[in-house]
Amino acid sequence: MFVPSALPEAKGVAVKEEGPALPPTAGPRPKDSLAEAHDRVVAGRAADGDPHAFEVLVRRYSTLMRVYARSILGTNDEADDVVQEAFVTAWQQLDSLEDPGVVKSWLMRIVSRRSIDRLRARRVHEDIIDYDPPAVEAASPAQVVQARSLADAVGRALASLPAGQRRCWLLKEVAEYSYRQIAADLEIPESTVRGLISRARVNMAREMQAWR
Amino acid sequence: MTAPHHRQGSTRTDALDPANLDGHTIEELSAYLDAERTPTNFSIESSPGCQIALTALERLRELTAHVLEAQAAAEPAPPDSWVRGIMDRIAVEARAGRDIPITHPAPTAHLTMTEGSVRGMVRAAGDSIPEVVVGRCQIDGDVTTPGEAITVTVDVSVAWGESIPLAAERAREAIHGQLAKHTELNIDAIHITIQDVRFSRTDAATATTQP
Repeated sequence: MFVPSALPEAKGVAVKEEGPALPPTAGPRPKDSLAEAHDRVVAGRAADGDPHAFEVLVRRYSTLMRVYARSILGTNDEADDVVQEAFVTAWQQLDSLEDPGVVKSWLMRIVSRRSIDRLRARRVHEDIIDYDPPAVEAASPAQVVQARSLADAVGRALASLPAGQRRCWLLKEVAEYSYRQIAADLEIPESTVRGLISRARVNMAREMQAWR
Repeated sequence: MTAPHHRQGSTRTDALDPANLDGHTIEELSAYLDAERTPTNFSIESSPGCQIALTALERLRELTAHVLEAQAAAEPAPPDSWVRGIMDRIAVEARAGRDIPITHPAPTAHLTMTEGSVRGMVRAAGDSIPEVVVGRCQIDGDVTTPGEAITVTVDVSVAWGESIPLAAERAREAIHGQLAKHTELNIDAIHITIQDVRFSRTDAATATTQP
């Protein structure tokens, strides 16, 4: 259970010898309006150690992070764990984030790193690039044609990419990794990364052509 | 060259038809994009068909980000138990910061309060103003030496429709009042930075009770 009275700052007053009663610093119940504030305000506050603000970030971005992790991993099983781990890391490192306004892309990079760690752990059994599990949501050009919306069509096109292409594409275009970073993290040559991303782009474009 | 454009916001996928690419291929254009269009390929740059295809390929990037957002929006919010699972793992750690000494008549007494607890006080004080939500709080100056002048810089979000100068002044007064009452900090200045004007339903009720 998350108990508000267990706030870290409630323990912040260190009385090493008997002294006058010090004011309670746990603060009032967090305002509901915190959930409506801009990332810069919420993440800045979380970086100062306020768990309520951090919880707002968890609620704001965990679903997006899970969708992303699932797409990178190619399976649903580990996505929740990866997102949880990413948030634990984020809490530990949040005070190192210079501009709290970019917390969203920062979280996406953390969840990328965590997902890659999982892929590496799998690598004992299968190659990171060739590993191509059955698509979570099988998509074929025919299904792309039937897509109800542009977002749906892109989603189907993305799901139809081979795993290696999809991973590199997401790392490049969503997490904004450089080719060099992707190559280093996935432990494959940079030229391979370039090839995979180029093929991903062409395949996406082809799939999208089917949707008119 | 006319670009058939039947659907608002479409990728103009017909633009990717090889017949329109003046002898170039999609693979070639993709590689050209990856090379950040350098060195300049004049044949590609001077072909209207290629330009349209390049724009469509570039749009795949924003579409990818958009599709993840759309998929996330279609999923249920995380269950409270799952959120609590994360909060339970992180709440044990405090971000205490520096120790701030507090004087005490007994010479053997050694009292300190942490910077983190002072920040908590600043948040609580600022949040007591209905239209204000406090963000980051920075304490500058040597707080470990009693009497040293310090400045406090506080980011805040203000509800839309409220007077920003008034909200900032109220927050400043509330924060100053609490720090003067509960700490011995020699406060030189409290800077309030408005980081966000938010549209808020929850503040609407309190806003009507403002004088």
